Formats: sequence, C-alpha cells, structure tokens
Amino acid sequence: MAIESEVVVVGGGLAGGFAALAAARGGADVRLLSYKQSTLAQASGLVDVLGYPPDGAASDGDGGPVVDPYAAIPDLPDDHPYRAVGVDGVREAMAVFDEVADRYRGAHTDRNALLPTHGGTVKPTARYPAGAAAGVASDDRDALLVGFERLVDFDAPHAAVHLENAGVPFEVEGATVAFPGDLAADAKVTRYAKLLDEDAPVETRSGGQRRARDALAAAVETHLGGAERVGFPAVLGDDDPGAVRESLESALGVPVFEVPMGPPSLPGLRLEDDLYAALDAAGVSMETGNPVVDYEPDGGADAAGRVASVSIDRNGAKIPFAADQFVLATGGLVGKGVGSDREGVEEPVFDCHVPHAADRYEWFDTDAFGDHPFARFGVPTDGDLRPLDADGDPEFGNLRAAGSVLGGYDFAAEKSGSGVSIATGHAAGAAAAEAVR
Amino acid sequence: MASTPHIAVLGGGSTGSGVARDLAMRGFDVTLVEQGNLTHGTTGRMHGLLHSGGRYAVSDQSSARECIEENRVLRDIAAHCVEETGGLFVKRPEDSEAYFREKLAGCEACGIPAEVLSGREARAMEPHLAEDIDRAIHVPDGAVDPFRLVVANAASAVEHGARVETHSEVTDLLVEDGEVVGVEVEHASGPGLRVHGTEGGREEIRADHVVNATGAWAGQIGDMAGVDIEVRPSKGVMTIMNVRQVDTVINRCRPKGDADIVVPHETTAILGTTDEEVDDPEDYPEEQWEVDMMIDTLSELIPMLEEARTIRSFWGVRPLYEPPDVGSEDPTDITRDFFLLDHDDRDDLPGMTSIVGGKFTTYRMMAEQIADHVCDRFGVEAACRTADVPLPGSEDFDVLRDYMDEFGLQSPIGRRSVERLGSRAEAVLDTDGPNPVVCNCEGVTRAEVQDAIEGSGSDLNAVRIRTRATMGNCQGGFCAHRLAGELEDSYDEPTVREAWDELLQERWKGQRHALWGQQLSQAMLNYALHATTQNRDRDPADADEPVDFAAFDDGPSDAVDGHSGGSADDTGVATDGGRDGD
Amino acid sequence: MSDTDHTSDFEPAAPNPDENHEPTQVFGEAEEFDLRPGADSCYKCSSCDTSCPVAEVDDDFPGPKFQGPEQWRLTQTDEDYEVDESVMSCSNCMRCDDACPSGVPLSQMHNTTRGRYVDEQMSKLSVEYWRNRILANYRTSAALASKVPRLASFAMNFGPARWAMEKTLGVTSERDFPEFATETFTDWWQARGGAQVQSADKRVAYFHGCYAEYNTPEVAKALVRLFEHFGYQVAVPEQGCSGTPMFANGMLDDACRDAETNVASLSALVEEGYDAVCSCTSCSMSLRQEYPELFDFEGTAEVAAHTYEAVEYLRIHEDLAGAVAEADVDGELAEEFAYHAPCHARNQGLDRQAVELFRELDGVDIEDVGDSCSGISGTYGWKEEKYDYSMEIGEEMFEHMESAEGETGMTECPTCAMQMEHGTGYEVRHPLELLEAALVE
Repeated sequence: MAIESEVVVVGGGLAGGFAALAAARGGADVRLLSYKQSTLAQASGLVDVLGYPPDGAASDGDGGPVVDPYAAIPDLPDDHPYRAVGVDGVREAMAVFDEVADRYRGAHTDRNALLPTHGGTVKPTARYPAGAAAGVASDDRDALLVGFERLVDFDAPHAAVHLENAGVPFEVEGATVAFPGDLAADAKVTRYAKLLDEDAPVETRSGGQRRARDALAAAVETHLGGAERVGFPAVLGDDDPGAVRESLESALGVPVFEVPMGPPSLPGLRLEDDLYAALDAAGVSMETGNPVVDYEPDGGADAAGRVASVSIDRNGAKIPFAADQFVLATGGLVGKGVGSDREGVEEPVFDCHVPHAADRYEWFDTDAFGDHPFARFGVPTDGDLRPLDADGDPEFGNLRAAGSVLGGYDFAAEKSGSGVSIATGHAAGAAAAEAVR
Repeated sequence: MASTPHIAVLGGGSTGSGVARDLAMRGFDVTLVEQGNLTHGTTGRMHGLLHSGGRYAVSDQSSARECIEENRVLRDIAAHCVEETGGLFVKRPEDSEAYFREKLAGCEACGIPAEVLSGREARAMEPHLAEDIDRAIHVPDGAVDPFRLVVANAASAVEHGARVETHSEVTDLLVEDGEVVGVEVEHASGPGLRVHGTEGGREEIRADHVVNATGAWAGQIGDMAGVDIEVRPSKGVMTIMNVRQVDTVINRCRPKGDADIVVPHETTAILGTTDEEVDDPEDYPEEQWEVDMMIDTLSELIPMLEEARTIRSFWGVRPLYEPPDVGSEDPTDITRDFFLLDHDDRDDLPGMTSIVGGKFTTYRMMAEQIADHVCDRFGVEAACRTADVPLPGSEDFDVLRDYMDEFGLQSPIGRRSVERLGSRAEAVLDTDGPNPVVCNCEGVTRAEVQDAIEGSGSDLNAVRIRTRATMGNCQGGFCAHRLAGELEDSYDEPTVREAWDELLQERWKGQRHALWGQQLSQAMLNYALHATTQNRDRDPADADEPVDFAAFDDGPSDAVDGHSGGSADDTGVATDGGRDGD
Repeated sequence: MSDTDHTSDFEPAAPNPDENHEPTQVFGEAEEFDLRPGADSCYKCSSCDTSCPVAEVDDDFPGPKFQGPEQWRLTQTDEDYEVDESVMSCSNCMRCDDACPSGVPLSQMHNTTRGRYVDEQMSKLSVEYWRNRILANYRTSAALASKVPRLASFAMNFGPARWAMEKTLGVTSERDFPEFATETFTDWWQARGGAQVQSADKRVAYFHGCYAEYNTPEVAKALVRLFEHFGYQVAVPEQGCSGTPMFANGMLDDACRDAETNVASLSALVEEGYDAVCSCTSCSMSLRQEYPELFDFEGTAEVAAHTYEAVEYLRIHEDLAGAVAEADVDGELAEEFAYHAPCHARNQGLDRQAVELFRELDGVDIEDVGDSCSGISGTYGWKEEKYDYSMEIGEEMFEHMESAEGETGMTECPTCAMQMEHGTGYEVRHPLELLEAALVE
C-alpha cells in the first residue's frame, strides 16, 4: 500500500525545499523525500542569482561581474532555466527566500554585492548572511582579516593582500592568531563554532580561564590598528551566530563579519536549518535517509504518460509513495541527481533524457576553468519545467524538475546555483500545487 | 688539471640526478640543469615499478640480471623510496603454459628468486585476483617513488657541493674549436629555487665536460651540436586508481602486450601500459582508447577494476634507443638496454657524453658507468660509492616509532609522513608551531609542506612531488588553496597566485582522462569550490579591467538583524556613494 | 616498508597456503565486505564532520571522515599499520551516514576499524577493555539483575557501589542505572499465553531487544496490543542483543554471536511470511543496516529487507494516519510532549514520523526539540571519561526540551530516554505507548 500525498518532491536541497514550500503554500498536501543531507553543507552559504553571464562577457560588455542580475536574465540563452521561469518568477521566488531566510541581507537592492571569499578575492552574489554584511567589498571601511593558525582553510594575511590586488576600495590587513583554548591541530569548524556558541570557558596561556568570545577578542585586539571592521572565517557560532558576532563587536568596538568558506560550511548549514524550519511550519511531510530508486508509471490517457508513484529503497525493502504531481530535485553531478559512467550520462530515478556528447572526451575543456560541457549536464525542460525526452516531448505529464538536475547552465562559472534552485524550485512547486487544485 | 673539473649534467630525471650525485661524491664540481621540475620528463611519468628483472627474464636476460642487482641495491640505499611489495606473474587459462615455464626458467637463470604459486595461493595473497587465475610466479618486484628518489639524489648531490638548477632549459650547446665547452640555459625564473614571476634570463654555463642525460630529449640536445642521436620515443599510458586493489605488483604472464601490469603505489594502484612510438616527446596524442584498454584488459586479472574509481591518467615517453643498424619495426622490440655515447669517439666531438635508453631501476648503474667514463677522461681515480651510501632520508630509520606521541599526529598520518620523509622525519616534523594537516587525502602536514617549500621555492608542483599533497582522490579540490596559503609567508601574492593556478592546471591535466562516474562528480564539486566559492575562474585580481566597486551593493543601510540583536545597523555604512541611484 | 636489515635473503614472503584463508575472522567473503567502493565514493567534503556530535565537543576526535575513508585509504599499504586509537571516541551515533552526499558507508568503516583496533591493538587486560565489554554486554548483566529486580535496582545505584564502579571500572557515577521491571516482557507474554490474535496473512515477529524486555516492558506490551488491535498475529522469537552496544565498542565477536541467533530465528519466521518489527530504533537499525554490512549468515539480507520499526510498519501497511486523525487521547497521556528523534531513527528516515503523526492527534501536542544528538549514544555517556562530553552534546537538546511547552519527553530510543530524563528530570514515553492510548481500548 503506497503512502499517498498530492505532491511528492524528490530531493531535499534548496530546489526541493523551495518546491515543497511553494506547493504546500499553494494548498497541496506535500511530501518531501530526500536521501542525504543537502549539498548546502558544501556551499558557501551565499545566495547567488547571476554573477557572470554564461558567455563570459557581462551585459555591460567589460567582462566583469554582473551588476544587476535581473536585467541580465532576458539576455540568457533560450535553454537557460531562468528563461523558463522568467524575471518575474525569479523575483517572486527571491521574495519567498527573503521571508524564509530572514537572516539574509541584500534584498534592499537589485544590484549584486561583492563579497570577500576565503581564497582572498571577491565574488558577486545577490544575498548574503547578515553575518557577512559588514564585509561587502563596496563598503570602503578599512578591514582587518583574522585567521586562526590551525585553520588551514583561511589564510588571513594571504587573503588580505589578494583582496587589495583585486582592487577593493579599502585598506585591508591580515593577522593570524591562536584560537583561544588551544584546540587540537585538526579541530573541526563545528568545534570552533560550539565554543563560541556556548561562550565556554577556555584556558588562557597564562593559566587562567576566560570566556571564549572575550578571549578571542583579546587575541585580535592587538592587531586591530586602524581597522574599522574585522572579518573572521565563517566559524562564529552555529546556533547563535548573531550573539557571537555581537559579543565580538562590543568587545572590539567595530563591526565584525564572517568570510564564507568552502566545505564544511556553517553558513550553508544555517540556511538549511532555516529552510527546514519553514517546511515544518508549512506542514510539509518529510521522509529522509533513503534513496528514491524507482517509479511506477500510470498508463493513463495522457499521451505523455504519468508517474503514479516513486519507491524508496529501505535496506532492500521497496516502499512506494504515490502522488498526483511530482517534482524532481535530486541535484546535479555532485548530488548524484545526474550520474555517469564511461559510456554516458543519465538521470537515475526516472531515466529522463540528459543530452551529452557520445564521446566522453567532449565532456570537458582542456583548461581547468574552460567552458566545460559537463557543468551543463542535466535535463532539458519545457516552459513548465517538465523534463523533455530526446524528441522534445515531455517525459511525463505530471513531473517537473528543478535545481541542479536541470541542464543548460553552468552555475559555477555564472555564480547562479542558489538562484536557479530557488527560482525553479519555487516555480515547479507552485505549478504542481496549481495542477492538483 | 689544475682545478676541479666542472661537469654540466643535463636532465633532472633519475639518470641525470644519479650522475650528478655520483660525480659530486667523487669530487667533481657539478651543475645539473633541468628544463622543468626534477622528474619533469620520463622519470615523473612511470608506473613506479622497481623491477625484479622478471619482466625481462625471457626476452632480455642481461637487463634482467642488472635489474635484480640494482633492485637489491636500491632497497638498501633508498629504503624510504621503496616499498617491498613483491610481485606476481599471473597466468590466465588462455595464457601459454610454455611461456610460463620459460619465465620461471628465465628467472632462475638470472638469479631472480621465484616461486610458483597455485591460483588459490595467489588469491590468498591477493584476494581480488580473478577466480580463474590458475598459476602465478612470485618474484621480488617492488614499488618505488620516483619523485622521492630523484629529489634525494639531487639533495645528496647538493650536499656534496653540486649546483642544481631546475626550470632552466638548455637553449644551446657551446661549441668552440670543435669541442663542447658548456651550455647556454634560459632560466624560467632566476637561478636557484624557482620563484614564479621572477626574472629569468640566459646564462652561459661553461663546463669541462657535458653529460647529456636528457632521455627522450637527448636527440634534441644532439641536434644543437649537429650530432645524431637516434632516440625513438615511445609513449605509454598509466591510469591511477583511487585506492589499492592489490598490494603486490601484478604482471600478466604472457610474452608482450599492452595493459599487463598493476603496481601498488603509495595509496593508489597504477595500471599500465601501452607502447607506441611518437615523433615528439613533448607533443603526442593522449587517447581515450588507451585508458579504456587499461581498465578493460586488466579487469581480466582483477575484476573489481571495472567499477573502481580512477583519479587520473598520465603518459610517459620511454627514451628508447637502438643503434642505427638494428631498425626494429615495433617499439616493443627495441631493447631496454642503455648506451653510453662518447661523442668524441663517435662523432669527433669531444666534451660531451650522452646516455640513452635504459630504465629507471638501473639508473644508478648507468650513472656509475658514466661517472667512471668521466673519471677516465679526466684521469681521476675515485671509486663509486653510490651503491653503499644511503640517500638522504634512507639512513637508519624506523618507521614503526610512536609518531602520535612524538609528533602529536594521528598514527596513520604520522606513519605516512615518516614513510615519505624517512630519516629526515624528526627534523621535519618536530616543529614548535601547530602542525595541522594540509592535504587530508594523503595525510600531509604543514611542517612537511613548509619543508618542501624550503627545497623548491614557490613551485607548488614541486611541493606536490615531494609530499604527495594534492595527489589523492580530491586531486587538490580541497587543498590547493591551502597550499597557496602556505606559500604566503615567503612569497608575495601575485607569485602565490601564479603558483596556485599552475597547480590547478597541472591537476586538471591528468584528471581529464578520468572524467566519468565518481571522478566526474568530484571534478564538478572541485569546479564549484574553485569557481563558485573562491571565484578563482574570474578573479578580479587577474582581470585586465578593474572592477567598478562603487556600482555594486555596498551593504544594507537598515541592517536590523533580527537574529543578532542588531549589530550591523549602527555601522553607518560608508558614504562611498554606492547607494545613490538605486 | 623497508626494514633496514635485509642483507641476507630476500626470498618472497611465503603466501598463506591455508585452504580456509579468510581476511578476518568476522567477515566472510573478502569481496563482499570490501570497503574499496566506499572509499572510492568519498569527496573529502567533510559534510560528515559537520554532522558529528563528538567532534563538536572533543577536538581530539578527528571526525568521521578521518576515521572512515581517510584512515582506511592511508592504512592500506601495509598490514601492520596501526589504527588511530581515537576511533574509540566515536559514539556510533551514525549521523555521518546520513550526512554523506556520496554514499560512503561511514559507520560500516567505523565499525570495522573499531573492531580491528579492539582486536589487534587494545589490551585485553586493560580496565577499559573490560569496562567496555561489560557495558556492551548489557543484556548479560540485565538478565542477572532481573532475577532480583528490586535488589538490583537498589544495589546498582547504591552510592558506595557506584563510587567503586567509577574508580575501578570507569563507569560514571553521575548517572542512575535504569530500574529493572518486576516482571520481564517475556514473563508477561508467557503468562498471557502468547499471541491473542491469529492471522494467516498479517504476521509480525517482535524483536523487543534488551531494554523493553528488562526495563520497560510497558513499551513492549503496548506494541503487542497495538498490533493485535490491527489484526496481526504476533510472534516473539528467540533473540539475543541486537549488537548495537557491541558495535559501538568494537566487540564484533560478541555481536556476531548474538547476530547469528537473531538472524536464524528471524529468517525462519520471515520464510513463514512474518515481517520483523522493533520498538527500539537502534535494534531496527542494527538488523537492517549493520547486519548486512558486517555479517553474512544465511538469511541476513532477507531479514534486513523484512525488518521495520513498529510505527513505520503500521504507517506503511495500515492507514495509521487516518486512524490517529480520528482518535483522541485523554487521561494520563493527554500531554504536551517534547519529542527527540534518536540519531538511529534519523538514519532510517524516521525522524519526522512521530511529529507528523501526532500533530493530527486530538488531546496531545508534540513539539520536535531539534535535530541534535542526545549525547548518550548507548554506552558512550556511561563512560567516566566521556560523561562531560556526553552532557555537552546533550545540552542543546536539554535546552530545547526546557523551552518546549510540554514537560513530558518522548522518544523511541531507550538510552536517549535515559539522557532526556537525566538532563531534564522529565518523564519520557515511547510513541507506541501513546498510540496504544489513542487506538486501543
């Protein structure tokens, strides 16, 4: 007996989450099936909409970052997922994002912000955590970047000089300090965050004890110089980053910001927390931890055919979930929503068509940052986000796709990953709810 | 001769660095020049097999005898570069029984310890061998790290007074009065350690004798002096697996053929190889069929290879040489023997000797012969000691010490470090500062990276070959920027950035041949990290045009932070005018 | 690698010609449990590390990525490679399995590594070994204690005795041992004459585990009454410990012994058309995931595919949601519950089940107290040297419980329940008890 819902969303990342949210808010009874934690833990936590146009030349022609992503969307190629959603669709989805993720900033303008990266340059993004807000690079206050001597992912002195060489309109210094408490050499970022969240007492080098936040501020103070703001790697708390930042700001007397880092990314995890809180509040049912491995078609009158149910594999037991509408949001190559072997590329759940060259040596460019076809692997869709087969017909009448499983865009080069996931997720979920009504 | 003779050694591979060490130990004044990194040519592109001689026991018994002899020597003098894996020649049912017996007899004739195992016994030793392997011959093959070995030879040469110049390409041979008197080199960066972005410049290095140990490039050097050296470069592919499917070298016991060997190498296994003659050792096609053949054919020996993850493939060019009168059609028929070409005798061109052909396992013996030859030339009486004096790092050391307590490292990381560093471990790892792991895949700590930087300048690829950092399954995805950060103390930012980019490109080059399945997913993740998160692909610091920062969002003015209790709202975002005209 | 003295022979090492060669004692065919594909799946992304509750409080613990694919890969070159002792600090919560976006079998790697450490490197004479062994074999102690439950409940919590246990064995004296029931579940089952409902097509075999047997038979009884209410014939097969505490302590031989018993009796019933149900989420986790990852008795895979957590089973096979939506609860259990999803429930995809089900139930309220780990992880929190870490991990859950409306806790896992009680003083109930109150007369 299948567990029944009106809408089933397969995949629990940004796209799946926003699809489920939109469908639930559209009045549908929604179930979200996700296998593993989302790849948000691997993302910086910045929410990009469009940072560079796909052909490498910005709409204003100078090859630099896009200032206004909304203005650039109409110029995108026809098969870009944003074209299916449209500028208004993107705006609508971002409005939902702003409401769900109220610790994010950037909604006050259409323009991108340039945020410092942990590698030391800047990147264009549309939304950034409040904790990163004081770090935007178009703000001309002088900055101090602080790294920790055992945290190899962020070398503050290197990042500081690199930023200056990227032309930022302010002075920036870098300092490396010992994180209070003498952590073991390979302590995880969550350990740093936990100590700051709890403001736990830590041993000082003189043998006394001090609260972690105070001790950290004291370690930084001597390096402050004329800096008008201080940036740290993004480890300033997991549960209560605002309070951690506030303590440091009051001790240091200047604004404090986090520099987003690569995985493991606390800002990405915090965003995931916000998303799931919103899903819970919207009454979405969730099944996690087991993969969707198969589907049952419903040989109804619909010419395109329909999906009747999907099955998860629970240690050998197949458990079916039936619904009227389905959303495929299983991710791309990284999330394994797109799979490959030496012979070809596939979408493993519904076996949707994934266009790719037969010769795998045509899947990549010879330059590390060249124009890689593999980065655009994914399913093509119609204007209603329904995956299309090789003939250009919808694979199923009641299946829509969203997020990185979509083809036709290179989120890494464009800096458009989160935006596409949110916009297409929202549109697919809303359309599914509409179809149920 | 009044002063110490000065010898210029061309080529920083195993032979060149071996010659440099030998000559320096015998008291010569030596300068070694290498166009790339040490091991840049064939040496850095081999499968890492320390031959027992078994492979040549039927076809080329004199090579086989040399191999077993040198195999024994290297276990002594290069203990920290060698892993005593043992090797198997395995026979499938369709492989010739007669050849199997010939192989066994050949091993016995050449003094190679060999023992016949049943299929079951072979699988007891290597559980992933195919069920239908019916017999095997066990021989003392081993695995050797060519990078570490060459770096150790070069270090020893330097200890004995030699000058080693990497990234210094020979642009001309200096010939005066019909005699070679030195070389002209173009330094990619200044002389000494390589530093990206520093001025290079040309240098004339005058020498009393030139040793051309440039392997597949020997013919090009010969051309500079108008002498003909008939090197026949032959390419071979090697495919690197993410993990070791076997801990013993597995050879297929059949006459000759492609894709017949798997060598366990450090944390990986290397599949090899093909044998195809090419025109230019620098420029030849790297083809998909070669990689596919490695996997498909070697899966007949080890079925799990079919589904296993490969992390990259690379090609090496064998510097095969045959005397002009032989004329083999098939490169596999060309002898693996080496030849010392005395250009004085051969071409009436005194002042230069070339060494061509040969193989990695016998590099030291080749070096000894050429050093003997140079000694003869200059009437120097000095015995060769390279077979007896351990290389730096291979002096008495015990890999089983308690690293955790001594160096504060997790035990497998400490152990891997000590295996790489050998007797230098204590000096390198005993550091005052914190010593976090920089490359997690291979367990490389900051102390080891810093030690490598001291030895190789800003060249992160040279750091890589010394430490194995970036050589694990993420292929630098997670540690390339960390390595760049480690350069920061010693080099300025543009230099670091250039080194960083060069490392990313080098890692990409080999990975392209493994882009399906897990490694394609990894590549996408790495690309996302480097491009999306770090913006390395469109870094404004690299751009020609400055970014107009004022055109972008300069931060929220309201900035009432619901979660933090409002910390950003009083920051009074600077009046840089960015907000005007929203 | 090289030993420095090899001047004499270098005859190849003699292969092991033993006809019955097996790579390790516990595992069967080398091929089947090979960890290479798992190591091949790792991205190195550290998502597992961020999910690890131990790494968050104990910076000497290098995290699941290191303990799993990283250490595995680094130690492959040589048989005498030692495993880092930090693997013993893993609490076996298995959250890393769920965190990995690429399907690395982290807990399987941890279990085998820990087993290897205990087998090859841990002194069998050490206090730690015996302390762990006693904790892991809770069933043995519990079976003895339940013969004299009142005395045992008193004696084991008697101050001086606890002081002595901490000093000599390293079992923390901060915790109270659970009380032993005066009648075990199987005593009750036999006294009632076994199954009260017969059915040819609706049959479940109840794997009650140790805790419901000796400490909380009311949970087991609720399960029986609930399944009988839905018309199931219940069987109670012969069973030992599921093995969870043994895996966590690297005692794979002990686990193997009990697993053999469990698989034998359950697979016989599966063949007769029964499905296995568990009331403890660690037991169901063990039967469905760890057994096939670690053992290959005949029927292991079949048992895994036919094992369910009890409420999950009813959700799939009955219209449980519909029944709950129409029911109401009054009396003792008409409460506001602070629900904690055990890590092992999370790994089976069951973390939302109770909350989603009971939010439709009249007369009760249920609030999820968040996705943190309770911190006890079975035996972990009982170890004297881990007690503080355990409480630090649990702190987030305690705080959320205290800020939740209700003052009664709810969870599926008996040791999480212990921790919830210990940290907040709340009484803690099992979802099966609430379902019984809602649906069974």
